[in-house]
Amino acid sequence: MKKNANDTDIQIAICGSAGDGTIAAGDILKRAMSLQGYKVIAFDLYPAEIRGFGKCISRIRISSGQTYSLKPQSDALVSLNDPHAIPHVVEVRDYGAVIYEDTPMARIPEGGHISAHVRPAQIPYGLGIRHISEQATGSARSRNIVVLGYMAGLLGMTRDVFHQTIGEKFKTKAPAVAEQNLKAFDAGYDLATRVFRLDTIEIKPPRHTKSGADAVMMTGNGAVVRGFLDAGIDNYFGYPITPATSIMERLTVEMPKTGGRVLQTEDEISAIAATIGAGYTGARTATATSGPGLALMAEMVGLGVMAEVPSVIVVSQRGGPSTGLPTKTEQSDLNMAVFGGAGDAQRIVLAPTNVEGCYKCAGKAFEIAEKFQTPVIVLLDLYLSNRYETVIPPKRNPFLRKPEKKIAVRNGNGAYKRFAATADHVSPRSVPGEPGLMHTVTGLEHNEMGRPSDLPEVHLAMSHKRHKKLKGALNLRGLTLCKRFGDEGEVDVGILGWGSTFGEILEAMYAAQSEGIRCSAMKVVMLSPLPIEQIAAFHDDCGEVLVPELNYEGQFAGLVSGELGRPVTRLSQVTGAPMRVEEILNEVRRLSGKQSPARKTKQQDTGDERALEAGLS
Amino acid sequence: MPTPRHHVIIGSGSAGFGAATTLRARDPDCRISLVTLSSLPFYNRYDLPDIFRGRHDWRDLLPIMPAMYDELGITLRRNSRVVDVNGTAQSVEFAHRETLHYDSLLVCAGGRGYLPEILSDYRPLMHNFASFEAAMEVHTALPKGGTVIMLGGDMLGLDLAFTLLDTGYKVALVTTPQTFWPHRVDDQLRGKLVAALEAKGARVHGDSAPVAVEEGLPGAPARRVILQDGTEISGDVVMPFCGLVPAVEFMLSAGVDIERGLLVRPDLRTTGENIWAAGDVCQIWSDSDKEYRFYHGWRNVREMGELAARNMTGSDEEFVAEDDGRIWLDKGSNICSTFWEH
Repeated sequence: MKKNANDTDIQIAICGSAGDGTIAAGDILKRAMSLQGYKVIAFDLYPAEIRGFGKCISRIRISSGQTYSLKPQSDALVSLNDPHAIPHVVEVRDYGAVIYEDTPMARIPEGGHISAHVRPAQIPYGLGIRHISEQATGSARSRNIVVLGYMAGLLGMTRDVFHQTIGEKFKTKAPAVAEQNLKAFDAGYDLATRVFRLDTIEIKPPRHTKSGADAVMMTGNGAVVRGFLDAGIDNYFGYPITPATSIMERLTVEMPKTGGRVLQTEDEISAIAATIGAGYTGARTATATSGPGLALMAEMVGLGVMAEVPSVIVVSQRGGPSTGLPTKTEQSDLNMAVFGGAGDAQRIVLAPTNVEGCYKCAGKAFEIAEKFQTPVIVLLDLYLSNRYETVIPPKRNPFLRKPEKKIAVRNGNGAYKRFAATADHVSPRSVPGEPGLMHTVTGLEHNEMGRPSDLPEVHLAMSHKRHKKLKGALNLRGLTLCKRFGDEGEVDVGILGWGSTFGEILEAMYAAQSEGIRCSAMKVVMLSPLPIEQIAAFHDDCGEVLVPELNYEGQFAGLVSGELGRPVTRLSQVTGAPMRVEEILNEVRRLSGKQSPARKTKQQDTGDERALEAGLS
Repeated sequence: MPTPRHHVIIGSGSAGFGAATTLRARDPDCRISLVTLSSLPFYNRYDLPDIFRGRHDWRDLLPIMPAMYDELGITLRRNSRVVDVNGTAQSVEFAHRETLHYDSLLVCAGGRGYLPEILSDYRPLMHNFASFEAAMEVHTALPKGGTVIMLGGDMLGLDLAFTLLDTGYKVALVTTPQTFWPHRVDDQLRGKLVAALEAKGARVHGDSAPVAVEEGLPGAPARRVILQDGTEISGDVVMPFCGLVPAVEFMLSAGVDIERGLLVRPDLRTTGENIWAAGDVCQIWSDSDKEYRFYHGWRNVREMGELAARNMTGSDEEFVAEDDGRIWLDKGSNICSTFWEH
């Protein structure tokens, strides 16, 4: 990833309490910057409690060029609630900004004000946020917009784009709401223009302003919805669960416009049962859930495998087990997605690594499910589901439904064999109601006609068929199943990754390369069946293979090393937060035998020398 | 295990910073809070004229890297305005409604620029030079080769004036009784010093006092200063340099004696328990002069901070001025002052 002096690459963190409008302010910021043609990656963290005083934090990375993850350090932190924001002060880089309320309403305990925690190398900007909001709008409710305006003014962001974005955000409310928010924004913005800046945050014009008009901000879940709609989804059955709920919420609005139907079922078992039932009729049908929901769906997924019925199941992982950490991210449902359920129930599992990938996997999943007549799981996690990225949608819909081939073959005596053995192990599929194609479908083991059979040779043949047909998925076109990045040929360290962590992996790989470490990274989108040949070739080139992932056991590392029969180095983490680039980089350094380069600047030298002279060391 | 003493220092200038580092050296376990209104860590304001020599990055003015504060265990509280000190409760009250308790308090709040009453209404039309940010604003407001109208011309101002003249700017100096502050000069020396200033290129207006500051006329420089005799001086920036007034308002209810500054004994103790003062904010009792005296200049201020810190940690020393407050002309007719030595 080459950067030049004209690149913008800043990250803003806005932190407050539930009800402070933290996420709303972050939303306006990311949309305004995206509108101008910047690339934006954003991720919001919010409390599990629906109401109360939990912490909300919105982190937004704004860049001219392509970036792949949030930065470990923000350039600016905006505090709407000091007790929540104080722990995040250390995440602000040197000479970055900390913006906060300097005239709070209530008395605060000793050490409770953020000014006591701003590091000496960070720049404090205090302002009377509440007072300004009250002056501008007659109410303190617009504190979030005041401070957004202040931050925008301070950093020299374009005022008009924010006006446009605020207008857009509140267009469904009474006109006075937008007006009040614009006043609040301007009050903060105007104040900031009179402040002498001491930080070193720079925003340069975006590289491609034209793309701003085409670009949209999308979350992983939003991209799944878009993919579903472009693929012509007919039905959606679901039961709400964080962090997958927003998929159903969006589909509830969008699907009726095109004649589709959304049904909220009484639980996840019903949702998957209905999905498989509708899939059996030939409809494009999906459901979405999280780990606990997938656990309930496991038996029905087995039915889908056995009955060879297409269905699409989106699983957005969160911290577990059990109710676990509903609003924190984790990648610990991989084993369940790949293996979960009774019997040898292999299914196709796709794990996108970014928001665009969510669109592609979700849209393509229907075609794959239909082609291989099996459930397809699209595996996200909270970090990816809720993460915003700037995406430029394709000009042409890549998922247009192709006309289905009519089944002409009547095997042998004319009877239709729904589960006939074929060269590619995929049998001719019909849907109920097609004349002459009557057949039996059951969860029992069955013969080619679909009739129950427990004969050993039948079970063996059908197990073989159900597994072998999926191998064809490794030759899929139109979807990247795995891809290598970085240095070619032999490398010191290869990083093998999946899912949302791959953004951090790429950033770490580029950082390692800049330190002279020969490094490659491979993302694996198809987790089942595993593209083992490509992974083996990658392994061959790597002195060491590192597998960073957000689960305790190193589930992907276990999957890969089990299939390969070769060791990999695990970097497993369960903090509920995305993995930090620096942690991956440190492990790459360790494996390569190279330590972090000493980066003493001239100024540091000068400072240290002065300190020595002053007798301070 | 005893609770470490908490030393709170108000003011992070030369005195405050010197005190903080001395405290740390003498008491490795103590807690030190260095409180300042500034947005920046300690920098030497005597270096601010260097902005006109191209030092525009505030980091270049820092004597130590910010990370050193952490290494020294000094909590730096910037942008923090103290509004009250409660000597009985031993606490400091901030404008942001936080109370900070101390075991010992050192007040090094320095002084703010004095402005004669007659000019106070014109403050919005003038620039100060009290901080890096203010200095950069002057730099921004001043066109290349532009003119600074300096009212008063204390030693801080004259230091800037020489830099401005050296770097291609013009200086119009309107003298007042505060010219050459904090030095007290007789008429004879004053005449020689003024002549030396003129020889360096400053345009000196010494016959009439400034009474008003106005916006410049259209097409003319941005500001006008009107003198009592009706003379108008045009310039781009107007800067008052009329000496310093101790910043003591927040100490009014602290239970300490205040005259113009905080009154302290030669060991820099105030009349309040566990409260000390150092630098431009305090008047020190002089046995020889039988009065409380100010001692200005970087060397004095720095020494006061360090001495107060030593006495706060068990010493019993008395302040002896390092800077004897001399101003003179050298053989090349250059103005020299102990005030500038650092």
